[in-house]
Amino acid sequence: MNINNLSFQDIVEYLQRYFPVTEEQAEMMMGYCEMRHFDKKVVIVDEGEVDTYLNMVMKGLVRKFVRKGKNEITLQLATEGHIIDSDISFLKQEPSLVVVETIEPTTLVSLSRKKMDEALEKMPGADRMGRQLLLAMFLKKDERHYKLLQHTTRERFVEYVHNHPHMLQRVPQKYLASYLNIKPETFSRLKHLVRKSKP
Amino acid sequence: MQTPLEIIYSVLAGLPFVLFLANFPLSFFSKKLADKIPKVYLAIMLRGLKAYLSQYIDLSAAEELMLSQLLEVRTYDKKARLTDIGETELYLNFVLSGMLRKYFFRGKEEIITHITPEGSILASGTSFFTKQPSKFIVEAIEPTIVASLNHDNLEKILSSSPKWERAGRLLVQDFFLDKEYWLLDSIRYTPRERFLHLMRERPDLLQRVPQKYLASYLNIKPETFSRLKHLMLSKKKSVPAKK
Repeated sequence: MNINNLSFQDIVEYLQRYFPVTEEQAEMMMGYCEMRHFDKKVVIVDEGEVDTYLNMVMKGLVRKFVRKGKNEITLQLATEGHIIDSDISFLKQEPSLVVVETIEPTTLVSLSRKKMDEALEKMPGADRMGRQLLLAMFLKKDERHYKLLQHTTRERFVEYVHNHPHMLQRVPQKYLASYLNIKPETFSRLKHLVRKSKP
Repeated sequence: MQTPLEIIYSVLAGLPFVLFLANFPLSFFSKKLADKIPKVYLAIMLRGLKAYLSQYIDLSAAEELMLSQLLEVRTYDKKARLTDIGETELYLNFVLSGMLRKYFFRGKEEIITHITPEGSILASGTSFFTKQPSKFIVEAIEPTIVASLNHDNLEKILSSSPKWERAGRLLVQDFFLDKEYWLLDSIRYTPRERFLHLMRERPDLLQRVPQKYLASYLNIKPETFSRLKHLMLSKKKSVPAKK
């Protein structure tokens, strides 16, 4: 993959958020990856398709959701440095139950399933890196599930907006409300909490 | 009920494992435990662990020995806690016999996230991997025997060979996938569908687990659970009546 130095530094930093990785290891990994660009509102993986890529967002914003009747339940909102794919579909090579779609024009660093299998075969330490990455993803997911079950609507809103202040501008409100499992009306009402807290 | 012949067969089937167990260090059987469980039963239980691991790794005799030396067998009475809120989870537990549940409190309400019978793994996972205090309780629903592996020993075994490295990746991948399925299913399916899936996939739970636990696990109100159960049972009866 052809990448300039600046984005390579970003990649290393992003990867290190998931697990301890050296520059050398990151460079080896990038040898198996490719850069992909998408316009906004493009479906990357649709329900029923088999996802063949694991992606890290270099620039842009991607949403993962599941259709339920006429509703779309947002499962993940991925910005710069986040990893996003249709997990079950990618790992098991089964038709996807979820949809992965861009919200903004997006650049991804992507590892195809074929290249991943090749790396696991040839690259020293690949199994360990894979385990560390999966574990980090597992822990993130565990934390999110706990919060969804444990915290009140208000707590979920306040904590999310506090930790991701820029997302209110970047993401349509209905997606955020769905992600936090808050009714859109309630979400609108809770927004006064944000305005009040500004100096 | 097993016939005497079946019992003899099951003991004979366990014999290779008695040989396997002969390799176990004495520390593996705490004195208390050795008194309680005949070795032949323990051998049969450990076959469950081997079957579970065979999804991930084809163990050689030497690898079995190494694993057996790192495992600790622990026993718990009904309702005993393996891990409490605020404690750091020290072990990954494979349930040899009995059943565990994992839950946390929302206010005074218990929210159950896992019900794990013999044949699979349970721990307060995030606490185990991050060494942070547990937010969950891991508790025995029935008298339970677990084979446990601590964090250092897990690392030791997973880094002992490329085969184990691969098994470790696949094992963590399954932890991850289970979590994803759990979340997706809670969104995709109605309470009624969740109830029916559980009854189809794990029918023994209805006999073994208090109903309020199952309701909490499925995130269904206890009243709704009761109603669904009666509906299911009355339908079962009505099927032969139609003949």
